[in-house]
Amino acid sequence: MFITDIRKEFYDVVVNQRVALLVSLDIDALCACKILQALFHCDQVQYTLVPVTGWQDLGTAFLEHKEQVKLMIKQDDDLGVPSYDDIFRDEEEESGDSGNESDGDPEPSGKRRRYEEGAVERRIERQRAKREWEARRREILFDYEQYEYHGTSAAMMIFELAWVLTKDTKDMLWWAVIGLTDQWVHDKITHMKYVTDIATLQRHVSRHNHRNEDEENSLSIDCMRISFEYDLRLALYQHWSLYESICNSSYSSCHFKLWSMHGQKKLQEFLADMGLPLKQVKQKFNSMDMSIKENLREVIEESSNKYGMKDIRIQTFGVHFGFNNRFLASDVVHAAAALLENTEKDESPGDNFIKALDCLSRSNLERLHGGIALAKKKLMAIQQTVASCICTNLILSQGPFLYCYLLEGTPDVKLFSKPMALTLLCKYLLKAFVCSTRNKRCKLLPLIMAAPMDVEKGTVLVLGIPPESDTSDKKNFFGRAFEKAAESTSSRTLHDHFDTSIIELKMEDRTKFLDALITLLS
Amino acid sequence: MDPSEVEFLAEKEVVKIIPNFSLDKIYLIGGDLGPFNPGMPVEVPVWLALNLKQRQKCRIVQPEWMDVDKLEEIRDLERKEETFTPVPSPYYMELTKLLLNHASDNIPKADEIRTLVKDIWDTRIAKLRLSADSFISQQEAHAKLDNLTLMEINTTRSFLLNSLNCMYKLRSNLQPGSSRGKSQDY
Repeated sequence: MFITDIRKEFYDVVVNQRVALLVSLDIDALCACKILQALFHCDQVQYTLVPVTGWQDLGTAFLEHKEQVKLMIKQDDDLGVPSYDDIFRDEEEESGDSGNESDGDPEPSGKRRRYEEGAVERRIERQRAKREWEARRREILFDYEQYEYHGTSAAMMIFELAWVLTKDTKDMLWWAVIGLTDQWVHDKITHMKYVTDIATLQRHVSRHNHRNEDEENSLSIDCMRISFEYDLRLALYQHWSLYESICNSSYSSCHFKLWSMHGQKKLQEFLADMGLPLKQVKQKFNSMDMSIKENLREVIEESSNKYGMKDIRIQTFGVHFGFNNRFLASDVVHAAAALLENTEKDESPGDNFIKALDCLSRSNLERLHGGIALAKKKLMAIQQTVASCICTNLILSQGPFLYCYLLEGTPDVKLFSKPMALTLLCKYLLKAFVCSTRNKRCKLLPLIMAAPMDVEKGTVLVLGIPPESDTSDKKNFFGRAFEKAAESTSSRTLHDHFDTSIIELKMEDRTKFLDALITLLS
Repeated sequence: MDPSEVEFLAEKEVVKIIPNFSLDKIYLIGGDLGPFNPGMPVEVPVWLALNLKQRQKCRIVQPEWMDVDKLEEIRDLERKEETFTPVPSPYYMELTKLLLNHASDNIPKADEIRTLVKDIWDTRIAKLRLSADSFISQQEAHAKLDNLTLMEINTTRSFLLNSLNCMYKLRSNLQPGSSRGKSQDY
C-alpha cells in the first residue's frame, strides 16, 4: 500500500497488533529490521522475524503465518517505489486507474436522439473508452516493469519514522547510515542520490552530536560518537594493511590495472611518489607510524590526482566507541555482507541471517571482527578472479552484451554462488574490463555473468548489469529480458530473487537461453 | 548470598528521573508512584528508572553523591583513615554500576566517576582484608566493623566463614592428638 503519513497510517496501526516481519537478505533490509526491532522493544510489540530469500519464500512464510497475524510488513530495497509495497500493488494501481476513467466517461449528448440509438451509442462509447483505458494500463505497466532500480534506502525511511516518534537514538542513526552505505557499496543508487541522502543524514548526525557534549560535561568514552568523514575509497583499509587494501579495492585496482605487471609497477611508483616506505605500507594499518597516518588522506588524494584517480575520497560516516573501536560505515557493510553469505560452513540462510544481524549491534564486536576477516577473504577472491578473467580473456562479446562464465574449477567459485557476492564480482569485472579493453564499442555494453550455483542440482546463477558509465541512472532492464528469453526457449528458470536481474537456470539450457537473449537484445 | 541478589536489593533505592510521557499515579504493592508529567522530575525506584530509560521514556538524573568533587573528598578521607568511613549510599557500588551502564549519556564525567568509585571500593576492600587477616592471626573471638556495605560484606562472607570453620576443625583435632603424639615418640 502506498502511504503518505508513516506514523498514523503505519506505526499506530501496527503497534497494537502482533506483527510478522519478513526481511529479505540484504544489508539495507537488515538495518531497517534492526531499527524496527528497537522501536518494537520500546513499545513492547510482539513480533516474529522471518528471513525470506525470494518471492517463493515470501509466499510460504505468508501462508504459514496468515492464520495468526492480520497485517504484513515486507521490507526490501525496492524497485523504484516507496518501500511500503505490498504484493498487491498492481491492484492498487488498477483500481486507481479505473476510478479515474469511469469518472471521465463522456456523457453523450443523447437528449436529442431517440432512446435506443442513445443507448447503443453509449455502449459503443463505453467500450471504446474501456479499450483505450486497457491500452493505457498496459503501457503504464510495461513502463513500470521494464526497468528495475532502487529507491530510498529502507533503513533511512524507518529512521525517519523513529525520528517522527522522537524515539531515534544514535544506534538507529548508525544503522540508517549503514543501510545507505550498503546501497552505495553494491552500486544500487546514483552518485547524486547518495550525496543527497548523505546530506540528509548529516543533519541528523549534527543534531545528535550537539545534544550532550560540551566543555564541562564531557561524554563517557563508551558512548557512541558518529562523525562525518571524507575518507578514502579503499575497502577496509583501517583493519588491513594499506597495501592490501589498495590491491583489493575495485576503484584503485581498476585504475592501476593491477592484474598486469605494468600495473604493479605503477603502484610501486605511486607509493614511492607519496614517500611511503613499502615496509610501513605492508603492515597492519594500526601499527603504521603515527607520522605517516596523520596526513595520510590528504597525501593520498594529492598523489591520486596525478595518477588519474580523481574521486579517491568519498563522503561517508564513521563511528567511534570505547578506546579501540573505530569503524567506517563501509567496513560494517562488507563485514555484514560476508557474514550473510558465508559459504564456509554449511549453515542455513537463517543462521547466517541471525549472525549478520548480530554483528550490527555494538555488543557483538567479535562477530564484527569475524565478519571483517571473511570480507577480506571475499575481496581477495574477487580480485584474483577478476585478474584471471581479464588475463585469460574469459569475457566474450556476444553482440549486444558481454558474457562471462565462471567454470566449476575456478578457485573460490563457491563464494560466487550467492547473489550479492556475484553482483560485486560482476560490477568489478565490468569496470576492470572497461579499463583494460581498447575496443571502444565494447566499453558501452552491459555484462551478463553466470556462475555455478548448485553442482548437484546442476543450476547456474545468471545475473545482468547495465553498462558502465559515469552518468548511468542504474536502471536495469535485464529482468524483463530474462523472462522473455526464458519463455521463448522454455528454459527451466527460477525468477525467485527480489532483484529481478538475478535468475537461476539449469546448466543444460544455458546455450539456448543465451541465444534467445542475443536475438532479443539485438 | 549471590552478588546479583545484592544488586536486586539495591534496585529498590530511589532515584530522580525526568519522564517524557504522562501517566496518572500508579498504585503498586511496594508503594505509590507518580503521577508522571513530561519534563517534571519524579522519584522512582531504580528498577523502574532503568526500564523506562531502556524504552527511551525518561532521562535519569544522577544522585547527589555521584559528583566528582564529593567522591574525590570521600576517596581521600578513606585513604587517610584506618577504619571505614561513612559511605555516600549503602548501595554505592551497585548503583554506580547500574546507572553508568545504562544511562552514561545522562551523567556527566561518567568515566571519572567510575574510576573514583572503583578507588573507594579498592581501598575499603583492602582494609577489610587486612582486618580479616589480623582477626585470624590474633585469634580474636569477635570484631566490630562500622560502615560496611552489604556488597563488601558479601565479598568476604563465604570465604571467611568457611576458612574459620576449617581452622576450628583443625584446632579441635590438634589438641587431643598432641598428647598421643608425644606418647608415640619412641
